[in-house]
Amino acid sequence: MSEMLGNQYFLARKYSLAADELEKALSKNPTSKGIRRKLIICEIQHGNINRALELFVSLVEEDVAFIIDADPIMDDCPCPELVYDMEEQFSDNKNSLDYHLKLAMIWLYCDVNKSLQYFNLSLSMNGDNDLIKKIINHLTSYLLKQEQT
Amino acid sequence: MSLIKSSTIDILDSIGEGLFTVNKDFKINFFNSAAERITGLKREEVFGKFCKHVFRSNRCFIKCPIAQVLETDKNIYELESKIRNRNGNFVPIKMNVSVLKNAENEPTGGVISFRDISELEIFREKHIKKNQFHGVVGHSKAMQEIFQLIEEISDSDASVLIQGDSGTGKEMIANAVQATSLRKDKPFIKVNCSVFSPQLLASELFGHVKGSFTGAIKDRQGRFEVADGGTLFLDEVCEMPMQTQLQLLRVIQEGTFERVGESITRTVDVRVIAASNKNIKETISQGNFREDLYYRLNVIPIEIPPIDERKEDIPHLVKHFIKKYALIYNKNIQDVEDDALEHLINYPWPGNVRELENAIEYSFARTKDKNIIEFCKLPPNIREKASPIVRQNKSCHSKDETTAIIQLLEKHQWNKTKVAKELGIGRSTLWRKLKELNLGE
Repeated sequence: MSEMLGNQYFLARKYSLAADELEKALSKNPTSKGIRRKLIICEIQHGNINRALELFVSLVEEDVAFIIDADPIMDDCPCPELVYDMEEQFSDNKNSLDYHLKLAMIWLYCDVNKSLQYFNLSLSMNGDNDLIKKIINHLTSYLLKQEQT
Repeated sequence: MSLIKSSTIDILDSIGEGLFTVNKDFKINFFNSAAERITGLKREEVFGKFCKHVFRSNRCFIKCPIAQVLETDKNIYELESKIRNRNGNFVPIKMNVSVLKNAENEPTGGVISFRDISELEIFREKHIKKNQFHGVVGHSKAMQEIFQLIEEISDSDASVLIQGDSGTGKEMIANAVQATSLRKDKPFIKVNCSVFSPQLLASELFGHVKGSFTGAIKDRQGRFEVADGGTLFLDEVCEMPMQTQLQLLRVIQEGTFERVGESITRTVDVRVIAASNKNIKETISQGNFREDLYYRLNVIPIEIPPIDERKEDIPHLVKHFIKKYALIYNKNIQDVEDDALEHLINYPWPGNVRELENAIEYSFARTKDKNIIEFCKLPPNIREKASPIVRQNKSCHSKDETTAIIQLLEKHQWNKTKVAKELGIGRSTLWRKLKELNLGE
């Protein structure tokens, strides 16, 4: 079993199988940004929000642009379709913190402002969450830097 | 790409098979000239793209062959699939798949070689079309004539009488007649006349009203009513009682009948296809079948010859059944040994196609770890028809086993009890083995 097999499951949108393989691959290569970027999506789809958030924070702290620059074609990033499913069709509890966190993470692959909007909504539902605060700080400073350049 | 030396690229470009490689992200990093020719895509267009975006095959999502190799650690050979070419059309291919690994045995990419089998597919389709008619296999002149006749009568509503020995495939022919007819989308009802008692057959065909006989607890439609607008297949029509024959004659002539126990006349429009394995003329002379009904049914006669009279169909039927049972048993059996086929051809087949099919299924069930049906796996009644020499030469006992038995017999001065004991088998098993090896006496 391998990262390559995890990659194929990810391409085939078999998120649960991909999560298993990519977790194993990450344990062998914990610094891999590529594995983490895919794994966040897999864990969200697999329902492991805490694990997804943990990976998400590590990658945002290390290289937030790596997530933001994910390309739907060149990186086969499934986020546009996932966002559509979650916002338009998903029957999940749309008032829950998990729902907002999932969308906040997924949106970062497509639109940093939308992501920030969902993280702020998440924070309004759980004002004590330091992880969310940390992410908001990172995204805000990223946007400021972008404006300056 | 840069890792592949230019001389290697030249070699890979000169081969007739398409070949491409992907990295561990499944992005294409090599695409040879033949792959360009087969797909109509230029390598510059596909480099760095995900293979699933280039080939757009459903297999990429359902059963990616590289993922299969990764999962099983076994290369794939001669896998049939379809890919899309530049114009979006599917190209049938056969491919070989393997995974590239680094020094640590970690997968780093995949390599797929493939060839276009479009022409083979066209040939296959033509071959199947020629030898199969709506599922009926027949290469012989007699069967080809039957297929032609069925096509010629496709716009007719006339009654058809199919005659042939048991197991020749009368029902299959009836299916073909129906499938090619103008009524192909209308009801197609089948009744085997031999399985009902005389009163029940009348009720089955024409229906009954509540209380018309013991057990008639409610009104019931007959098969003629159910088949209205379509076709009724009456198998083993010679078994029909004379009284019901009269009712059948009327419904064929006038399209009218009454349910059992009722006086209301009903009208239907039903085409009748009848079949019998009996000689109907003989049945008429015995007074068991109405001559007028025979002429009504026999507007279009179809006589299916027994398989013994069309031996050239046997290899095609064998292949057909091998394909069928390979799917059912999920076994990779593709052919039959030449000697076995020869015996299948020479066997008289009193049970016709049905018996041949059963023989192939029997052989399938007995064949393990081989992709060919051997003589020794054929049913005993077919093997028994072969000469003793053939039986001995083609027995499934290995040479090693034969030699071992002979050596033990000599060691124990042909004391079979001692030999059986040393082999760890019963005396009767040894007797059987010796008989099969022609060492019985």
